[in-house]
Amino acid sequence: MTATAATTTETRSPDVAPASVGTGAHLTFGRVVRSEAIKLVSLRSTWWSIGVAAALSVGISLLMAAASADFGPGFPPVMAIVAPMQFTMLVAGILGAIAVTGEYSTGMIRSSLTAVPQRGAVLAAKALVMGLFLAGSSAAIFGLAVVATSGLLSPQIDWSDAASSTVPIAYGVLSMTAFALLGVSFGFIIRNGAGAIAATVGLLFVAPIVVSLFTMFGPAWEWVTDLGQYLPVTASQTLTSVGSEDTGPALIALLAWVGAGLLGAWAVLRTRDA
Amino acid sequence: MIVAEGLTKRFGDTTAVSDVSFTVQPGKVTGFLGPNGAGKSTTMRMIVGLDRPSAGRVTVNGAPYRSSRAPLTEVGVLLDAKAVHTGRSARSHLRAIAATHGLPKSRVDEVIDLTGISSVAGRRAGKFSLGMGQRLGIAAALLGDPQTLILDEPVNGLDPEGVRWVRQFVRYQAAQGRTVLLSSHLMSEMALTADHVIVLGRGRVLADAPLDQLVAAWTATTVLVRTPRPSALVAALSTAGVTVTTAETGVLHVEGVTAAVIGDTAAAAGIPIHELTPTAGSLEDAYLALTGEAVEYRTADLADPHQEQS
Repeated sequence: MTATAATTTETRSPDVAPASVGTGAHLTFGRVVRSEAIKLVSLRSTWWSIGVAAALSVGISLLMAAASADFGPGFPPVMAIVAPMQFTMLVAGILGAIAVTGEYSTGMIRSSLTAVPQRGAVLAAKALVMGLFLAGSSAAIFGLAVVATSGLLSPQIDWSDAASSTVPIAYGVLSMTAFALLGVSFGFIIRNGAGAIAATVGLLFVAPIVVSLFTMFGPAWEWVTDLGQYLPVTASQTLTSVGSEDTGPALIALLAWVGAGLLGAWAVLRTRDA
Repeated sequence: MIVAEGLTKRFGDTTAVSDVSFTVQPGKVTGFLGPNGAGKSTTMRMIVGLDRPSAGRVTVNGAPYRSSRAPLTEVGVLLDAKAVHTGRSARSHLRAIAATHGLPKSRVDEVIDLTGISSVAGRRAGKFSLGMGQRLGIAAALLGDPQTLILDEPVNGLDPEGVRWVRQFVRYQAAQGRTVLLSSHLMSEMALTADHVIVLGRGRVLADAPLDQLVAAWTATTVLVRTPRPSALVAALSTAGVTVTTAETGVLHVEGVTAAVIGDTAAAAGIPIHELTPTAGSLEDAYLALTGEAVEYRTADLADPHQEQS
């Protein structure tokens, strides 16, 4: 016999009894969620995205905090914590989109859907895991920013007044979660990475700019700016601002975007060939 | 057992699979053959619910795949080796799939060991060679210790050791009473592996028969005869249906009659025989004869027929 020590691919003889596939092997939703969690944390792109979001968010918070004394009395200090979302929202949306389009571009989706042929469960589990991950990491990033800026902010955040401290931050966490889920929806609907990212950036970043242009065109175009209030990012800004009068419609608008997005994703996923 | 009834798949104007019906029996290795574009992969994708049939239905163990509560234990499927996220390690990939059915980590380690990828299991799948990717795909198919295996081109890119392992493995699985459906373009390998073959061409079933029957029906068995008195033997054999060709002096290729009859005839006529070798046609010959008309992407004949004669 020749030495096979150098062979890295020595297969075992086929008559090895498979010992550890028990009778309890079947699908449950909890297990599908666990599978999606393993998928999310085992990709480097996930940690790169969160790292970039954390660096951007805390960095901008620090800059704003350093300049906060010059902003005057109209500047609520909690804004230094949540305002960086204008940039990190794109990271959240893109992370959501590539979590799905990465499966399509690599062919992984076929492994996912043969293991779990109930496609609605795959979508729900992916959305749940992505939502929880973004909620947790956004809360951690905002927490980090609070700690990092505490010596610089002037005035300090008044934690005894929820409306100007914890409430905007909580809405910030909710917004980041919503942006990621919009990315997930676009990922399932468009399937192509560049396309889904373009759609996500278009909705989150470009659409509000386009709407703001219409303010220059006079009262005949006012309905466009009115509708613009219900764009996801505009709704999120209403929610995270201190002293917003009526946050109800903004909250409903944000949740409706997410609901519509996920429903649209489910509608195409359940019938389309994978 | 896989049962397809009137399975049809249209993509726009093209009909990829047209009214295909077959049964893949347990306890056998069934080879799935056909030219590129014949509809093999599409049919396999419909079996596991990735593609929705335009008409007809297909069941695995009596039920549609998509209704299974434990699909990984029903069917292990390798559709193409690329159904893996390139950024994830092989072990994480298998753990994520195993997690959907609550399969333990020990099972993941088992299939890694079984397919011989332990030394690269921690590496990102995007860095894998074709053969390693293939082994990873097979490992994923085996996770649930499934009753049915559907393997599309499993030996594509494998080294000889891997090819032989796949052959022995699927033969062992079939011997255990499991169902195995296997596609390959390597006819010699298929001839060694399969008991039964289903041949598709242009989306239709061209043949569905035991391997030996298919070969017998679509190829001619010739008998090579070496004798010092060829013309006497030719004369003795000159009955209807017997064709004799000769390539060199004293060597005859006899078609249409068995070696036993040739031997008996020669003995009766007192003609000495130095060699009597029946040569059966190969699966490749049978396949090419069968699919000759159904090849979607035909290669150009390399030799110009006019030059060949000169």
